[in-house]
Amino acid sequence: MLSRAFLYTHLAFKLAMALLAVAGSVVLLLALIRMIPGDPATVILGSRATPGAVAALNARIGLDKPLGWQTADFFMSLARGDLGADVFNGRPVSGLIVAALPNTMALAVSAMLIAVLSGVALALLSAKNPGGRGDRAIAFLSVGFISTPSFVVSVFLLMTLSVTLGWFPVLGAGRDGDFVDQLWHLALPTVALSVGWIGYVARLLRSSLLETLGENHIRTLNAYGVSQTKIFVKYALRPAILPTVAVLGMGFGELLGGAVFTEVIFNRPGLGSLIYDAIRTRNYPVVQGCVFVVVLLYVLTNLLADLLQTFLDPRERSRLIANSRGR
Amino acid sequence: MKFEPTRRQVLIGGASLATVVAFGGSHPAFAASDRTRIIVRVEKDLSNLDPANRSGPIDLNVIWSVQQGLISFKPGSTEWELDAAEELTQVSDTEIAFRLRPGLKFTDGYGDLTAEDVKFSFERFLKPDAEGKPVTYAKDWSELDRVEVTGPLEGRIVLKNPSPALFTIALADGSGRIISKKAFEALGKDIATKLIGSGPYVLKEWKPREQFVLAINPDYKGAIKPHFQEIVGKPIGEQKTAEIAFRSGEIDFTAIDPESGKALAELPDASVTQVPAIDYIWFGPNIEKAPFDDIRVRQALRYAVDVDAILQGAYSGIYPRANALLAPGLLGYWKDAPVHERNLDEARRLLEEAGHGGGFKTKLTIEATARYEAIAQIIQANLAEVGIEIEIEALESAAYWALGENDASKDLELSLIKYNGKFDPGFQTQWFTSEQVGQWNWQRWKNPDFDALHAKGAVTTDKAEREKIYVEAQKLLDESAAFIWITHNLNAFASRKWLKPGVLPNGNNWLYTAFSEATA
Repeated sequence: MLSRAFLYTHLAFKLAMALLAVAGSVVLLLALIRMIPGDPATVILGSRATPGAVAALNARIGLDKPLGWQTADFFMSLARGDLGADVFNGRPVSGLIVAALPNTMALAVSAMLIAVLSGVALALLSAKNPGGRGDRAIAFLSVGFISTPSFVVSVFLLMTLSVTLGWFPVLGAGRDGDFVDQLWHLALPTVALSVGWIGYVARLLRSSLLETLGENHIRTLNAYGVSQTKIFVKYALRPAILPTVAVLGMGFGELLGGAVFTEVIFNRPGLGSLIYDAIRTRNYPVVQGCVFVVVLLYVLTNLLADLLQTFLDPRERSRLIANSRGR
Repeated sequence: MKFEPTRRQVLIGGASLATVVAFGGSHPAFAASDRTRIIVRVEKDLSNLDPANRSGPIDLNVIWSVQQGLISFKPGSTEWELDAAEELTQVSDTEIAFRLRPGLKFTDGYGDLTAEDVKFSFERFLKPDAEGKPVTYAKDWSELDRVEVTGPLEGRIVLKNPSPALFTIALADGSGRIISKKAFEALGKDIATKLIGSGPYVLKEWKPREQFVLAINPDYKGAIKPHFQEIVGKPIGEQKTAEIAFRSGEIDFTAIDPESGKALAELPDASVTQVPAIDYIWFGPNIEKAPFDDIRVRQALRYAVDVDAILQGAYSGIYPRANALLAPGLLGYWKDAPVHERNLDEARRLLEEAGHGGGFKTKLTIEATARYEAIAQIIQANLAEVGIEIEIEALESAAYWALGENDASKDLELSLIKYNGKFDPGFQTQWFTSEQVGQWNWQRWKNPDFDALHAKGAVTTDKAEREKIYVEAQKLLDESAAFIWITHNLNAFASRKWLKPGVLPNGNNWLYTAFSEATA
């Protein structure tokens, strides 16, 4: 058994490492963004502003300070719960993120859900008769899904299901408070974003399942006459899904960032398109705030996946117990 | 394993499919169903609604419909008409008297529009803001000395120097909007996001990155009559997404690529409008750098480049050719400007004469867009025929425009440039003056005669005289051979057949009040 104190220490260590990763990534990203030539003053003042006006505006929005100072400012403001203000109109960045995040989260969660459900189903079907016609068809389909970029799928879905058939809307995230409308607006972006992941989960899980199905305990279960469905779902899927869980943890973070194209194409006001617009206009406070939130979510989902893996995998638990006794 | 569906499975499957088709097909509640309300696409979200710190035409178009000026542009024209002013008189070259219409009121209870508000609105361009910084558009009112209030509804605008451009650059434009002094003082920084005005529309809603809604101002007492109860603006950054949204019926009006016009015009309920623009796109060398400091090399470039091929290859042959700086329709348009035809023999002769018969290597800097890359490739192929080898440097937008700062343009060799035009010719000529070298004069061409003409044009009030000045100025640009004009651009718009858009001649500025139902 794990002692409670050790468990807390373990969790605190993981959390501290996660926060350190967040801070490091944010500093690195901020430095990289500032290295790109161009500034918001050029965007605000138009392409032919006088140097005096550019300098005045840069001073107004704090861009005349050294980069290190600006970064320190950002973290100090963050400690006060302030993510800064949009350089164009002074709106709080936190407000922009709060408005955008639910749209991105809804998209990422639904895409991940579809990817997991479809991917697991395809993997089970595939692993049931490896090398068979169904397996080969699924392999073909999965590789096709993985290799088709989400923006291609997005345009295809828009042209067929929205423009030609008129079944789905093209723009936005749906009306406030109208859940059905929001789901309707979510459908195509979700499919577009999840397609690659369906293929990926299916391929990954299939290999893992086949490996598990060849192990001794499965052979024993077969010898005892346990039903194939029970063997697949109860005894093979659980250990086989562990590598997929780890990948999904990273995948969710990637989906948050990777939703950019999908959000831009479907004109969905999410975090991805907010970052895209902010980088284009060198709206640094918005970029900083969004990068911080994305990195935080990325690190937290990875942490969660890590903990989930420990919970699901008896070997990981044993390792942890051994470590706690060794102390 | 065989797939042998039972009759029940077929029936259930068929019924499910029919349900999806029925519900899916009937779902979209699209724009065209309600003709008291139109949905227009804007290229980006609103940004700053303070007229003195606005960030471009998207903001300005909304500001125009909510706030009045003494004068405003006439729909579809570069001419102006009276708006909040009942009377506007040019008393002398440096004095303009105005009398406001009685009964004009600001929304949200900010009271009557008075001459004090006019004074406050214009003079704030001269003063630093609360943080001690000049407002973004301070330059528009640089010739303003003061505004004198002579009565509750009357006053005089006093200028330091004559400024014929003032009417189109400031008074009718965004910098001439009248804001409520009370509202400004009460709102503070929120002036950037809350729009208080006395105009035909009110900004009923602005959900950042989703939409803004303009609704009729029930208390409006002016002469301009809006036609739609509500105008909804949806920010859609990508042109192709906008075209898809138009095809699907979700928006009623959008700017489009002129090349897409033909396909969209074939839609049963669509109409496509083309508006020749007043921008200026050109390509030219940095004349401070060898070998471009030799006019013969510049002339050779001009002979070697096939502008018509660029218009065919990069603009699908539908954009008009530019032969000088000022576009047709603008004061000072040079209708007899020479059309420089391609002549490779002459180009080779000039290069030979200049000692570059064997050609040379150089770099062409462009903003990274598909169109400019296409232009650059044609120029590259054209110049290769006379032995000039070009490396193309494509920069992302903000990085490209950063070349206007800190004298970065001194390192340029060849550059392809697009500047947006405004209705006064002096706005266009200013970028080619000597004092702009190091900023926006990327050819780094200096000519004292041109500078003098530009300065003279800015203070000459006689229209015919001004016209001559700007034609002369363009002749000097042409003589320099430093500017190879390509096009003045073309704007195209797709709208529903029943909708008549209110676009001004530059294509970027729209008068929402002029959007109306098309008459058959």
